[in-house]
Amino acid sequence: MSRQIVIDPITRLEGHGKIDIFLNDEGNVDRAYFQVPELRGFEKFAEGRHAEDMPQITSRICGVCPTAHHMASSKALDDLYKVDPPPAAKKIREMVYSAFYVEDHALHFFFLGGPDFVVGPTAPRGERNILGVLGKVGLEIGKEVIGVRKQLRDLITLAGGKVIHPVFGLPGGVSKTLTQEDQQKFIDGAERAVKFGLFCLEIFNDVVLKNAQYVETIISDAYTHKTYYMGLVDRDNKVNFYDGDVRVVGPDGKEYTKFKAQDYLNHVAEHVEPWSYVKFCFLKNVGWNGFTEGPESGIYAVAPLARLNAADGMATPQAQKAYEQFYETLGGKPVHYTLANHWARLIELLYAAERLKELANDPEIIDSNVRTIPKNIPEEGMGVVEAPRGTLFHHYQTDKRGVITRANLIVATQNNAARIAMSVDKAARGVIKEGKVDDGILNLIEMAFRAYDPCHGCATHALPGQMPLLVRIYDSKMEIVSEIRRD
Amino acid sequence: MKTLVLGLGNELLGDDGVGILAARRLKNRLDGSIDVVESELSGLALLEHFIGYERAIVLDAIHTTRYTPGTVVELGPDDFDTILAPSPHYSGLPELLNLARQLDLEFPKKIRIFAVEILDPYTIGESMSAPVKEGIEELIHRVEAQLRSWQEE
Repeated sequence: MSRQIVIDPITRLEGHGKIDIFLNDEGNVDRAYFQVPELRGFEKFAEGRHAEDMPQITSRICGVCPTAHHMASSKALDDLYKVDPPPAAKKIREMVYSAFYVEDHALHFFFLGGPDFVVGPTAPRGERNILGVLGKVGLEIGKEVIGVRKQLRDLITLAGGKVIHPVFGLPGGVSKTLTQEDQQKFIDGAERAVKFGLFCLEIFNDVVLKNAQYVETIISDAYTHKTYYMGLVDRDNKVNFYDGDVRVVGPDGKEYTKFKAQDYLNHVAEHVEPWSYVKFCFLKNVGWNGFTEGPESGIYAVAPLARLNAADGMATPQAQKAYEQFYETLGGKPVHYTLANHWARLIELLYAAERLKELANDPEIIDSNVRTIPKNIPEEGMGVVEAPRGTLFHHYQTDKRGVITRANLIVATQNNAARIAMSVDKAARGVIKEGKVDDGILNLIEMAFRAYDPCHGCATHALPGQMPLLVRIYDSKMEIVSEIRRD
Repeated sequence: MKTLVLGLGNELLGDDGVGILAARRLKNRLDGSIDVVESELSGLALLEHFIGYERAIVLDAIHTTRYTPGTVVELGPDDFDTILAPSPHYSGLPELLNLARQLDLEFPKKIRIFAVEILDPYTIGESMSAPVKEGIEELIHRVEAQLRSWQEE
């Protein structure tokens, strides 16, 4: 049954992800490993640079979530110089961030994650793409997705300077005020985004939730892990992407701890495995207990599902309704189904749109006071935001001139790494039986990590965007029986 | 004929910045009738860059280990047929082209890709390896030759 499919690597870089699946004598899965390439040198690269440059430098690391790095870095600078930005500055930052969230979550749903559900997990691979999605939901929707994204990206450019790498975050505020005319553009964009958000949930309802087979896949054991969950919450314990405390709930859904970004080292530790470059984050005070789940294992998850689990609700009305429906449908809190991330992502998209609308309509958004000038001598600063893919920490230490002496980032996918590794292993065990492997089965394994929307570049400290994948299957004699490249 | 020259890559990743640097140099050499754009995005997120153009040249880095670093490899959209949408997460130009066709977007009819084989895409840093640096000149000449041949059509 030896099989080898070679696909010419015409992607941008050959830094590929790798899944190694080891089968036992019966042809069932002994263990599956998921690996990503390492990117070296970020810390060294940052040393000796001016702290003020970090929002630009860190946002250039990754072509996927630049706005998230820009925000985390700007907040780390606020903390470094111990300055509190004026209310308008905070609101402008959060408004821009909300616009970014809508377009980023939309990209994931329609282009990346959606094909699995809208088209179907085992559909022929030639159909499991955006065109397959549009074939199901209509071409007009494709135009709307592209249109909404464009409008929101134009808004980010308007406020942020550059859409791909925004330049507006400064210690103590933002570099630019907004005019009344700008505000109107944000209001218009927000109206469209809210409609779009509601519409996305409708699609999910009609196409996914009304399909019993999909729902069965979502709640199947192969995609379930009972772990801790982490996410930022506001004062009322509602989901917040831009600011708040980091809250962690246990596998039972109850609050385990809540802490400020500055305390993260007291709560998060990193575990190293010989087979992976990624450092696996775990909850320090629970401890590392191998790749296991339950209250005794410090493994936790971040990203949409984790954020919903870690909070008590959503701060906007329509997203809150969707939040309630989510838990009613999936059997109460917390939800442990990895694939429910797709649904959670759409609820967050709606929240981001509603929040965008609230902030766009806030009279203070055009206030001219957008900067508190830093006066303190810098030493150390921490910033945290929720990136679309999960909690993102930036931590800088500087000399008295503000020159970086040490920089550390904990990115979303690192927080998720241990659970992703478990998900790939469990899904492989669940779907490969007696050595039978085909494209549909491999896709069922890939779905286990695709739901997290991992950005592996960033996790190993950063490859832009695409990551080709190499899947190798070994028999019990450790010989490769199958190898598939996906570019 | 609206023509786009799109440089891709990440300057912070050493050799990976080759497409961006070449685009920047081309911007100074080409007359204003050709739009030269730098982008660090990849895959479907690039869609918006192409809209409204009739012809496009993409400059990029490629890491196959099959060619000597610095070698310029030329590809056309048809060369991507073999990798059409194996997985939605890693899809790229072929899907982009199909999507544009289906949605009837104003998309380039002619696209050429010039990629430079690179040495090390995994170390963050702004300096490029010597062979890749040398490849830039060749890359620029190839782009200019392509533009000339389009002009003569």
